[in-house]
Amino acid sequence: MEITQFQLDALREIGNIGSGHAATALSTLLQRRIDMSVPKVWAIPFEKISEIIGQVDTPQATIYVKVEGEAPGKAVFFFPVESAEIVVQALFATDQPMDIYCDEMAQSALKEVGNILVSSFIMALTQFSGIALQPSVPALAVDMIGASLEAIFLEEGTLDDMVLFIDTQLTGIPKIEGKFIFLPDEGSLQKLLGAMGL
Amino acid sequence: MSVVISVGMADYKTARTPEILLTAGLGSCIGICIHDPLLKVGGMAHIMLPTASISLGGNPAKYADTALELLLKEISGMGANKARLKAKMAGGAQMFSFPGKPPVLKIGERNAEAVQKELKKHGIPLLVADVGGSFGRTIYFDVGTGELRIRTINHGEKVV
Repeated sequence: MEITQFQLDALREIGNIGSGHAATALSTLLQRRIDMSVPKVWAIPFEKISEIIGQVDTPQATIYVKVEGEAPGKAVFFFPVESAEIVVQALFATDQPMDIYCDEMAQSALKEVGNILVSSFIMALTQFSGIALQPSVPALAVDMIGASLEAIFLEEGTLDDMVLFIDTQLTGIPKIEGKFIFLPDEGSLQKLLGAMGL
Repeated sequence: MSVVISVGMADYKTARTPEILLTAGLGSCIGICIHDPLLKVGGMAHIMLPTASISLGGNPAKYADTALELLLKEISGMGANKARLKAKMAGGAQMFSFPGKPPVLKIGERNAEAVQKELKKHGIPLLVADVGGSFGRTIYFDVGTGELRIRTINHGEKVV
């Protein structure tokens, strides 16, 4: 579907509010201030994601949540391994390095953080549209970012040529950054935009 | 140092020795590598879905069947003999799993099956299939020697 600049702006605003919730939740969880930069919104063909994410085989921690309800979709949060390690160490209040590739405790903590971030965004969407959305249990992969994203996009076997990225940059001290993506299933975006009067 | 030609998602490229073909970050997608060992030319396709018929229109390089056809056409155009062609493939992973919920459609597996089927249809022997698992792969294909180097983040590196 065609997405107008006006609709993109509206989605960016929702992304803004969602990441505001997320930053607050994460600040509380980590006991440190996490700031949020203004998100960008893109509607691009999926094949072009490397233009946004950069090197597709850089390892990143990717948390994937399926969104169920009247306007289903997929929500993803991903951040560099170094950031993920900082988050996990902060959560366990330890200076010891934790292996996020294998350590189950670390992985489960990461899933939880991702869950909070994703839920914050879903909450903002629901708040604006009045459409109830339920996030699933989160799944995690610590691997090449391109491989993880590709698997998510292709999972249901259907692929719209255009993909919507709502990117939120969460920045904190010393260095935690991540990106957020919402992929509405076919028809969901119209439903959400329609419910918001856009 | 050989020239490395990068193949993007839903893309295909051909090369002549000593060029190396590369595709990065294969998840459930598959990298199909084909070469003519005598002429030392070949190509690589990064396919995303099994068959073009499950979707309307779109980029033909995205699907196993149509991408292979395009790739073979271009390799033949470089003078390769179809009877000499050899194939290798990698990718087709299942990157995520949800507790208690078996995936309805294992797209990685279906991609691998589709590539096998298409290669068989064209009568091209598949020498190596490094597929499956739950990890991403970056692959380098030497069209001269037919060597396929497979790099992963946490599952080592190998040449097949």
